[in-house]
Amino acid sequence: MRALIAAAAGLAVAFALVLTITAVGAPTGTTSPKPMLTTVPSHP
Amino acid sequence: MRRKSGLVLLALAVFFAALSPLLRWYAFPRLAKVPASQYQDMVLEAKDATLLDYDSFKAKKVSKVTIVQTLKGNVEASEAIERTAGRDVVVWDGLSYVQGPDGKMVSKIPERYIFDAHSQEPVHATGETVDGDPVKREGIEFKWPFLVEKRDYEYFDAQARVTAPIHYKGTRDFRGVSVYYFEQTIPWTKVPFPKSMPVKGITPEDVAATGTTRWYTTVRKFWVEPVTGAPVYGEEIHQEELRGGTLLGGREKVTAFAGHVKMREDYIRSTVDLVKSQRTLVLLMTSYLPWGFLSLGVLLLALALYLEARGRRPADPAPTKTSAPEPVTA
Repeated sequence: MRALIAAAAGLAVAFALVLTITAVGAPTGTTSPKPMLTTVPSHP
Repeated sequence: MRRKSGLVLLALAVFFAALSPLLRWYAFPRLAKVPASQYQDMVLEAKDATLLDYDSFKAKKVSKVTIVQTLKGNVEASEAIERTAGRDVVVWDGLSYVQGPDGKMVSKIPERYIFDAHSQEPVHATGETVDGDPVKREGIEFKWPFLVEKRDYEYFDAQARVTAPIHYKGTRDFRGVSVYYFEQTIPWTKVPFPKSMPVKGITPEDVAATGTTRWYTTVRKFWVEPVTGAPVYGEEIHQEELRGGTLLGGREKVTAFAGHVKMREDYIRSTVDLVKSQRTLVLLMTSYLPWGFLSLGVLLLALALYLEARGRRPADPAPTKTSAPEPVTA
């Protein structure tokens, strides 16, 4: 019974971690202030 | 105490074993996406190209035609579309600026490409345009989806405003990166004149009024890194002609542009480096971490079972107590 509880706890933490990470997601950021280029850049 | 350690190890084993498929099939499809704020520029060159001289209206050989391509993620526009679309959306404002050998503008074509951040499928919303004309894209443009398959894809051609298959032609090695090679041929197609003409005071409507039409064909080649879906190299064998009308002075057609467009060497190097680092990040989520967690889970489970087995083994018999002989009373 105690083994079953330990396994369930491990499973629950794994689900909680993955769900939290995916819910938070990556930050969106902001639009770059760099212009649309109309000259040839000398380097990348 | 040993029993308690076994239970902790069992919990950890289940945790890591469960994390493995969750990361690969639940988290990865939701976390892997093109960032809405991405900014990227690219320089392509067509050496020894043919270009129309607008003074004489004759085609002439030039040393080089340069194409500067900018893609800029518009975060505000993507957030506005996300509110109604209900999914992660990327809005790329793009500009293809073509420059002749004298540094003068040959053409500039802006476009807005709206697509799903995860699957790269086009999203149809107001503002989806090429050179100011509303379009409804089908298929991909610029980037393939993550985990590219060995099959043909539908690719949108911005010049002709059509979608056509881009064919998978095999796996190749490009500067140490294993890539999928794709090729698309757009046959001669009548296309609109760019809104920005190279001669001041002349509009596309003026040219169209003369009866002259613009035609275009291209063979588009992409070397795509299959894990990230990012092209590491691209080429185009591009031809444009003006046909008919009074503008050509009785000639049937004249070449407006013909050249083999290739990425500039320094941009190839920086693209390969960028894609290599992105590839590692994607592989971390699709391969390295899932397999690592699964192995760790199996290892911890084995350790937990071992401790459990040791805990259940019958203890060694206790040493028999040799009692001192009791005094016997006579």
